[in-house]
Amino acid sequence: MDSLVGASAEALKLLLTGDREIWEIVSISFLVSFRAILFIVPPALVVAFVLAFSEFPGRRYVITIVNSMIALPAVVVGLLLYMLLYSSGPFGGWRLLFTQTAMVFGQMILAFPLLVAMSHVALQSIDLTAWQTARTLGAGKIWAMLTIMREVRFGLIAAIVTAFGRVVSEVGCSIMVGGNILHHTRNIPTAIALETSKGHFEQGIALGVVLITLALVLNFTIAIFRGRDMARY
Amino acid sequence: MKHVRKVLQRRTILDIDYMAIRKGECVVIHGDNGAGKTTLLKILAGLITPDQGVFTLNGIELTWRQAFRQFRNDVVYLHQTPYLFDRSVEDNVAYGLKFRKQNRAQVQKKVETALEWAGLSDLAKRNARDLSGGEKQRVALTRARIIEPKLLLLDEPTTAMDKVSRRQTISLIGDLANSGNSVYIATHESANTYQSQRVVEIDQGKLI
Repeated sequence: MDSLVGASAEALKLLLTGDREIWEIVSISFLVSFRAILFIVPPALVVAFVLAFSEFPGRRYVITIVNSMIALPAVVVGLLLYMLLYSSGPFGGWRLLFTQTAMVFGQMILAFPLLVAMSHVALQSIDLTAWQTARTLGAGKIWAMLTIMREVRFGLIAAIVTAFGRVVSEVGCSIMVGGNILHHTRNIPTAIALETSKGHFEQGIALGVVLITLALVLNFTIAIFRGRDMARY
Repeated sequence: MKHVRKVLQRRTILDIDYMAIRKGECVVIHGDNGAGKTTLLKILAGLITPDQGVFTLNGIELTWRQAFRQFRNDVVYLHQTPYLFDRSVEDNVAYGLKFRKQNRAQVQKKVETALEWAGLSDLAKRNARDLSGGEKQRVALTRARIIEPKLLLLDEPTTAMDKVSRRQTISLIGDLANSGNSVYIATHESANTYQSQRVVEIDQGKLI
């Protein structure tokens, strides 16, 4: 118990004194996850929109597959990506393994089904008359799509925030394709795993505090947006 | 339009041999619920694709898709329960002008005039979602009127309204019909509710 209290006090000291290594790990974590979300949001929204507003054979199967992929283990995504990017793999020539770019790819794959599923639910909450109204008033398909997205913006923001929360805290994929290299690909979850295995609890706790704070902020943000979304009806 | 047919789940919901849409005419399409009124209006608005049909525009025979491409910007359809966007009344009214190359000053002026016409000036800054059913219908009519469509299609515009809202809405529709637009109103209520030049009866998807 004493060692836990001592480690926690040391962890807070590391955070508050602006320990360079800790904050570098935090910044790598945020940069990688932010880029992954930034790149994957547009295609995910388009897919969610198509699933919500168009009819095509097999649509229900696609929705079921997307929903199932939410539970895709990060380590499996990491394994697949590793096999693709490994030096003798099909994309080995790109030399992306153990880079932040590989981590971004991995997190994009992890975020995609969650973003599509949650955005699809948000878009489905809106009546088809909204789409027809935009179209009959002269909006082209893309403008009508943007209008509808604005209508369900709180639901979409909640989806984006949730997806960010998912990828920023995943460890399996990042450790496999990132390699946990200090100053390059070591992010919060991989650093916690490493430091704990070495018995350096202070750094692990300090980074854990950052993740828990982030989780709280994200959850409060989602609650606020959900509240606003509900208040509209 | 000729030989317009729509089948849904093996049931023919619309089967029209011939129907003329004349310029500046106010027409009531009267029929029971499920008679095919909404389907007819939505086909005219380009929101539903018919299974077959020929459309003659200025003497040229066209398919529905070709015709729709030509008249898309001239037709507005108003739902029975209008959808108002989650923004202010004036922003709702201005929505359609964005696609009609108007500058900011022109839009502002047109919106002010239109709101005044509908008696909605006091509500301009209110969120459209917070309005009553009658007020929402008036906003929807104003939003349609401002883009000056050649053909305005109204689906049960006064259903489930109180007396005052109903009177106001009917008066606005009368105004629209008198301003040279073609106005087609689908209703199951008495055909005499609106001052129309023609009443078309529809039953089981066929014009009688």
